[in-house]
Amino acid sequence: MTTIHSGLKRGVSALGKPRRVTYVVLTIFVLGSLFPFYWSFLVASRDSGMLTERVPPFLPGGNFFANAARVFDTVPFWKALANSLIVSGTVTLTTVLFSALAGFAFAKLRFRGRNGLFVFIVITLAVPTQLGIIPLFMAMSEFGWAGGLQSVIVPNLVTAFGVFWMRQYTLDAVPYELIEAARVDGCSMIRIFWNVCLPAVRPAAAILAMFTFMTSWNDFLWPLVVLDAGNPTVQLALEKLQSGYYVDYSLVLAGTTLATIPILIVFLLLGRQIVAGIMQGAVKG
Amino acid sequence: MRSIRNGLVLALGITMTAFGLAACGGDDGGTPAASDPNAKVELSLATFTEFGYEELIPEYERLHPNIKITHRKTGQGGPYHQDLITKLAAGSGLADVSAVEEGHLSNVLDKGSKFNDLTKIGPAEASPDRWLGWKYDAAKTKDGKVIGYGTDIGPLAMCYRKDMLEAAGMPSDPEAVKPLFATWDSYFAAGEQYVAKTGGKAWFDSAAQNFNAMVNQLPTGYIGGDDKLAVESNQGIKDAWTKVTGAVAKGQSAKLTAFSNEWNSGFKQGAFATKVCPAWMLGVIEEHSGPENAGKWAVTAAFPGGGGNWGGSYLTVPTQSKHPKEAAELAAWLTAPEQQIKAFKAKGTFPSQVKALEDPALLSETDAYFGGAKIGQLFAEQAKKVAKPQYKGPGDGQIQENASSPALQAVEQGKSADEGWTQLLDAAKKITR
Amino acid sequence: MTVVDKIVPDEEKAGARTPPRPTLRHRLSRWDVKVSPYLYIAPFFVVFGIVGLFPLLYTAYVSLFSWEAGDDDPSFIGLDNFKELFADTQFWNALENTVSIFLLSSVPQLIIAVLLAALLSARIRGATGWRVGVLLPYAASLVALGIIFANLFGPKYGLVNGLLQTIGLDPVDWQAGRFSSHVAIAIMVNWRWTGYNALIVLAAMQAIPKELHEAALIDGAGTARRFFSVTLPLLKPTLIFVTITSTIGGLQIFTEPKLFDAMPGSNNGGSSNQFQTVTLYLYQTAFENYELGYASAIAWVLFVIIVLIALVNFFLTGRLTAVKKK
Repeated sequence: MTTIHSGLKRGVSALGKPRRVTYVVLTIFVLGSLFPFYWSFLVASRDSGMLTERVPPFLPGGNFFANAARVFDTVPFWKALANSLIVSGTVTLTTVLFSALAGFAFAKLRFRGRNGLFVFIVITLAVPTQLGIIPLFMAMSEFGWAGGLQSVIVPNLVTAFGVFWMRQYTLDAVPYELIEAARVDGCSMIRIFWNVCLPAVRPAAAILAMFTFMTSWNDFLWPLVVLDAGNPTVQLALEKLQSGYYVDYSLVLAGTTLATIPILIVFLLLGRQIVAGIMQGAVKG
Repeated sequence: MRSIRNGLVLALGITMTAFGLAACGGDDGGTPAASDPNAKVELSLATFTEFGYEELIPEYERLHPNIKITHRKTGQGGPYHQDLITKLAAGSGLADVSAVEEGHLSNVLDKGSKFNDLTKIGPAEASPDRWLGWKYDAAKTKDGKVIGYGTDIGPLAMCYRKDMLEAAGMPSDPEAVKPLFATWDSYFAAGEQYVAKTGGKAWFDSAAQNFNAMVNQLPTGYIGGDDKLAVESNQGIKDAWTKVTGAVAKGQSAKLTAFSNEWNSGFKQGAFATKVCPAWMLGVIEEHSGPENAGKWAVTAAFPGGGGNWGGSYLTVPTQSKHPKEAAELAAWLTAPEQQIKAFKAKGTFPSQVKALEDPALLSETDAYFGGAKIGQLFAEQAKKVAKPQYKGPGDGQIQENASSPALQAVEQGKSADEGWTQLLDAAKKITR
Repeated sequence: MTVVDKIVPDEEKAGARTPPRPTLRHRLSRWDVKVSPYLYIAPFFVVFGIVGLFPLLYTAYVSLFSWEAGDDDPSFIGLDNFKELFADTQFWNALENTVSIFLLSSVPQLIIAVLLAALLSARIRGATGWRVGVLLPYAASLVALGIIFANLFGPKYGLVNGLLQTIGLDPVDWQAGRFSSHVAIAIMVNWRWTGYNALIVLAAMQAIPKELHEAALIDGAGTARRFFSVTLPLLKPTLIFVTITSTIGGLQIFTEPKLFDAMPGSNNGGSSNQFQTVTLYLYQTAFENYELGYASAIAWVLFVIIVLIALVNFFLTGRLTAVKKK
């Protein structure tokens, strides 16, 4: 008995504690991931000339703040940041909420047409979107939304990707027993969703939030077409930095570095949410 | 307690949505075409890269207090023209005054019915003799509509590295090199000399740069007057192809694609000795070559085949505009010689207007980086050397971008000249089918 | 399988002798059960109806016409666009490129993503930092990416060629060759998307109850055995998700090949279209050649191809992660 127990303890810690090689591999990955950011900062802190050097320098120069200041002088960066935050923030909130809702329905509730409707949603992912901007622009003009932020928000309120993802995750993450228990307790559907399902799918929701925020933040072509001149998002403002036949990359990359900071903040905030499911252990005999 | 938190989240979501909706610029358009000349009119102007209009817009608004202008700038021409095509297709959203670049002009001319005839709605002073003949005529549709007022041009000269020519024992003074650059044959012959004397260094940066200039000088281009593909029957194009690919085979090309990363680096690395040089290229050369190469680059008022043009834009007034007359007036004002000179001083856009080319401010302009050359005068001279404009049928710009330039790139990457020619033909046929 | 709609109100279950006349509360409850699913999926369909359906139908409609942007009177040509497409060598070239790049990128990417997720699911210190670090590439600006990879893979001055030369190998003209360009683009794609997929798999891994791992340990299973017999099968819904979305994303690949071209902004996919993918070709047809009808046809044919390949991958994944019978 004791041997099994101590073996189990050892086994579990062997399960949990990572070996050194794990850290090594992860470090290599993260270094590879970080490199472009460091490199962007490098160029932003020097001047564009370094891009054409045979052997590029490795240490940052002192120009970053000067270049950053130029960014703010050249384009309405604060306004663009604010617009992007509104757009991406709203889209993220609604996408996560509605995707979790639909995911819950598709994963755990039975209703007529469930499978067919779900397959339909997944199939819509396969449609190439490049041409869509023409009819979408026509639609936005019809509604009188062209030019304003709602034209960028409404088309992205909920995505097929989000619904698909939340449904897959909800399938295994929310045990029927819990739902049944709540049902027996007399909870309405919406309370079951809010109190049982949502907490269980928190990690997936966090990841979906990160992805949605980032995709929305980096969106360029549609905002270019539909937004007014005075109402840019961050990517539009950044593009304006690339003006002319000669592009000053130290300015552009200073801009992109600045534009990445909000994403990093969102990442760090949401990254913590990707923890082991808190519903484990909730279903015990 | 939890419900309060949840409620807050919901409230936040709703607030943000509401904020977003309220922050709408709300495109409700300007006032309908008013008979009252003092009625408020809102005009939109869309440009790309740098036209130099930043100071001019407020000036115009001061002169016309009833007009409010929104200037929409896009950094690069690529996204700008994609946006243009989208809105052309969607039927709405184009700015009252929309800039169009020379390379896209042929497509716009093809859709001439979507643009106003500026001779009909424009002011009288925007007459044909305001501009260089070839610039003005290029914006005429087949039925004689003028759909664009010329803004700037890119007259061609030849830029070269003085020090590199000197080192090869060749003449390097701007006057002395003129004979080298008199014709394409003399240009490529000089290239052969250069390669021999330097043991294999490249004479020019990219085959496509030369080829495009050569084709533009021909009486007929890729598309004939009947709007059909003329490449196969056009001996001029075939000759140009043979000459350029011959030069590539002899090692004269640095095999760099214009505006690519390596081309940017190529300036600093001294990868080539000469370069086809429109007026706007000077700034590019300076920035990429860096201060350490100051004074090494020179420019001369000669260009093989006489003269040529690369680049430049027009201001058009799409039929989508609700205020065509006011828009045409704005476009005419912006492209008047006085304003173009101001734009030139601001952003270096080289004027296409005859009076502007005689302006002392322009003629006295020098460039320290190019050894103090009098570039204003130089390019004004070159501008006058351009013959009548070549007819650019629909698809012309695409053929240059997507058929001939890639085909030349392929040859530089190792394809045989004949294979490259076949590739060019196939691609051109596809574009014009 | 759902228990929810089978729940019977207590009173009836207890065999009460009250007549089975449903109270308001019961009626509301049953109505809640019946209607809620439709309400919950409604937001998606409402938004889709407004902004997704119209473009879809419009594109399908336009594909039957010969329509150039700005044309006032497009002519109806029925299926001619499609007929032309099937004879179009550039289209088949683009399709080959697309599939090639897809295979070169997705296969290693998914394997690495799963392994990466396994590493991240261990109890490592500073977990959040590692997870964020792994996702960062997706946040990199496209401008920076374009320059960096151009600098890496430049034929004359690129770092990779520099390295190759120091070890005594010949430099490769990455953009010029067909296979070499596919490899370089696959590297770009994997660099950008591996972390993304790893996080998705990680989330699912974390949802696997610890008890199952413990049980396997007690049974004497080693790490590998546990991985294949416990983890993988339980990851099935997620792996299906990752496979399908990677397939769709991979076959629609657009940004990376476009950035890789030496000619900035070009949609050519190389001097001889050696790395032009179908979406690039679509984009070029629409926004450079102004041919919207033909481009719409390309879009729909690509759609059908993607659905078919995604179906194949769906079945493959199902097979690979099938629960092994004891």
